[in-house]
Amino acid sequence: MDNSLWVKMHGRTTHFPIALVMASTLFDLAGFLVPANPEKFHGFRAAAFYTLMLGAVGSVGAVLSGLVISHGEIWGHSNLAHHHIFLWPAFGLLLALAVWRLVVGKHPSQRAFKIYLAASVVTCGLMGAAGYWGGELLLNS
Amino acid sequence: MQIETKATVLASVASVCVLAMTFGLSPLLRSTETADSSREPRTDPGPVVRALISDRGPAQGQKLFDRNCAHCHGNDARGDEGPSLYSLALSDARIAKRIREGVKGEMPRFGSKFNDADIEALIAFLRSLKD
Repeated sequence: MDNSLWVKMHGRTTHFPIALVMASTLFDLAGFLVPANPEKFHGFRAAAFYTLMLGAVGSVGAVLSGLVISHGEIWGHSNLAHHHIFLWPAFGLLLALAVWRLVVGKHPSQRAFKIYLAASVVTCGLMGAAGYWGGELLLNS
Repeated sequence: MQIETKATVLASVASVCVLAMTFGLSPLLRSTETADSSREPRTDPGPVVRALISDRGPAQGQKLFDRNCAHCHGNDARGDEGPSLYSLALSDARIAKRIREGVKGEMPRFGSKFNDADIEALIAFLRSLKD
C-alpha cells in the first residue's frame, strides 16, 4: 500500500483514541462528583466504560499504522523519540485500564476506583504529550 | 484474592503481552520495507515519512555521501578535490540548493538524482560532522 495512505490513516486513527480516552476520564470524574444521583452516576460510569473500550480498540489501529509509517521503528531520534517516550507508556496503560475495567465490572471498590481514576488521568496526559510530539513530527519537519 | 487485585494482575500481563507483540512486529515491518524498496519507484512519501527518514538521517546520509560525494570531498569528508565539509556555516536551505543545483565549474548538480528525503538525510549527516 502507498505509504502516504498509511500516513493519512495514522492521522485519522490517532485522534479517536485520544478523544475517547479523555472523554472516558471526564465521564468518570463527572460520575465521581455526582454519586448522590444514582441514575446519573450509572449513566456516567457506563459512558466512561464504552468510550474507554472504543478508545482501547482504536489505539491498536493507531499504533499499527504508526509502526507501518515509521518502518517498524519503535524508538528513533529527536521528535520521533519524544513521541515514543510518551506513546508506549500511554498505550500500555490504556490497555491495562481497559482490561482492568472489563474484569472488575460495574462495582469496583471506592479506593480501587480512585487509583484507577488517577491512572486514567496520567494516561490522558501521556496520550496528549504523545499527540503533541506526533504533531511536531508532522508540522516542524 | 480480591477481584481488583486479580484484575490488576491480569491487566498488567495483558498490557505487557500486547506491547511485546507490538515490539516483536517491528522487525517484520523493517524486512517488508527492505523488500518493498527494491521494487517500488522512489516517490515523495509526505511530510511525516520525510521526517521519519530524516530522523534516521545521519546514517542514511552517510551511505549516500560514500556513494556520491566521497570521491571529491574525501572518504572522511575532510576535503580532497572538493572542500572539507566539516562545521559548515551554511544554512540547511543553502546546502540543499548547492546539492540540487551544484556550483558552476566546481560541483555537479544532484537535483535529478536525490529526492527531498535524500537531501535531508545528507544534510543531517553533514551536520553531524564537527571539528
